[in-house]
Amino acid sequence: MIDNSEDLRKWRLPRGRHGLPRELVERSQRERLLAAVVRVTVANGYESTTVGDILGEAGVGRESFYELFDDKLDCTLAAHKILLDNLEEQVREAYTGSDAWPERMRKGLEATLSWFAADPDIARFTLVELSTVGPAFRSIFQTEYARFTQLLNDGIGNDGPSPELTGAAELAVGATLACIYEEVVLDRAAELPRLLPDLTYDLLVPFVGEEVAREEQRRAAG
Amino acid sequence: MQKHRSSESATSVLRPTTPPDIGPQTQRQRIVDAIVESCAEKTYAATTITDIVARARISRTTFYKQFDDKRACFDAAVDYCLEELRRVAAEAHSPSDSPAEASRKAATAVVVALTERPGFAQLLTGDAIAVDPKAIERYRKATIPALEALWSNNGGAPDTHTDPRLAFGQVQVLILNQIATGKADRLPELLPEIVYLAVSPFAGHEEAINQSRFVKEFELSGAAER
Repeated sequence: MIDNSEDLRKWRLPRGRHGLPRELVERSQRERLLAAVVRVTVANGYESTTVGDILGEAGVGRESFYELFDDKLDCTLAAHKILLDNLEEQVREAYTGSDAWPERMRKGLEATLSWFAADPDIARFTLVELSTVGPAFRSIFQTEYARFTQLLNDGIGNDGPSPELTGAAELAVGATLACIYEEVVLDRAAELPRLLPDLTYDLLVPFVGEEVAREEQRRAAG
Repeated sequence: MQKHRSSESATSVLRPTTPPDIGPQTQRQRIVDAIVESCAEKTYAATTITDIVARARISRTTFYKQFDDKRACFDAAVDYCLEELRRVAAEAHSPSDSPAEASRKAATAVVVALTERPGFAQLLTGDAIAVDPKAIERYRKATIPALEALWSNNGGAPDTHTDPRLAFGQVQVLILNQIATGKADRLPELLPEIVYLAVSPFAGHEEAINQSRFVKEFELSGAAER
C-alpha cells in the first residue's frame, strides 16, 4: 500500500521523458503512474485516455502497470482516493482545535478552498472527471460525501450547535461541493479563496442563524 | 451496483405500451423514455444506441431519423425532464399562496414527482453533469427565475439572503447522494432540507425553518405514503 503522506499535488511531470528531475525518476513506478493518470486525464478527458497514454506520461512499461492496477479505472480511482485522503487530512487539521465552533468551521472551509485553488488540474480531476467514469461514480460519490459529512459532524463536539435542520451538515458539504465544482468547471479554481466570506455565511446559517453567521462572515473578510 | 437500478415505479411509468404502429411524435417520446431508463440503470457512459433502440422497440433507422446521435437524444431527454418538472411545480401552487408557501408547495411537488420517476432524478443529477459539466446552468435557468418570480414585486429582483444558485447546487447534491446511496424511492426524506433551500435564499433562515418544519409535520408522512 502506498504511504498517505505522499503528496500528488506537488508533482509536476514534464511533457517528455527527458529532463525529469532526479527526485522524480527515483519515485516508485506506482507513484509515477498515479501522477500521470491525473495529468493525462485532465488533458484528454477520462473517456479518451488510454492506458498507453498513462504509460507514456509516466515512463513506465505496460507489464508493470498491470502488476499494480487492474485497468485504467482502478488506477484513476487509486489516485482519486489518495488525493481526497490528503484533502481530508488538511481539512481535519484546520477544523480541529480549541477555537469556537463557527471559527473552526470557517478555517475548515478556508483549508478546503485553498486545497482546490492550489492546483486547478487536481481540482478538475477530483471533481469533474470523476463523474465520467461510469457506474463506479455513484458509489465513489456516496463514499466521499459521507466521509466529509462525518468529519463535519464529528467536529461539532460539545460546544457546537445542535441545528434545527437535521441535514445541516449535508447542506454544508453540498454547498462547498457545488460551489467548488462550478468554479472548477468555469476554470476559476484559483480564485476560490475569494469566495470564503460569502460561503462561510451560507454554510453557517442553517446551524447558527443569521446573526452569528454574519459575524463569522465579517471575520472571514477581514 | 444492483441497488442503483431504477425502481419498479420508473419502469411502470416509463415503459412504452403503445402498439407498434405509431407516429413519429410518439416514436420520439419512446426514444426519450428509453434513454432516461437506460441511463438510470447503467449511466449515460455505458448506454449505447443499441440499448436505446432495444428498449424503445424501434429500429436504428428510426432512431437516426429523430436524433443525430446519443448526445442529441440525451439533450432532448434533459429538456423533457425539466419541462415535466416545471409543469408539476407550476401546478402545485395557487395565486393565493404566500411566496413562502408557494415555494414550499412547488419544491414538495417536484420531489414527489422525482420519487415517482426516479429515472428523471438520476438523469438530472448524475448523468447530465457527466455529459456536460455546464448542464447545471440549464437547470438554473429552468428553476431560479421561477422561484424568483414568486418573490418579486413589480417585476423587480427580490432581496436575497443567501445565494439561490448555491441553494440549487445543494439540492442537486442532496438528491444525487440519495440516489447514489440506493434510496431513490426515499427522496421525500430530503423534503425538510429541500424546502429550506427553496425558501432561505429569498426569505432568510427563520422563514425557511418555518416552512421546513411545516413540511416535516404535515406533508412528509403524506408524501411517503403516496
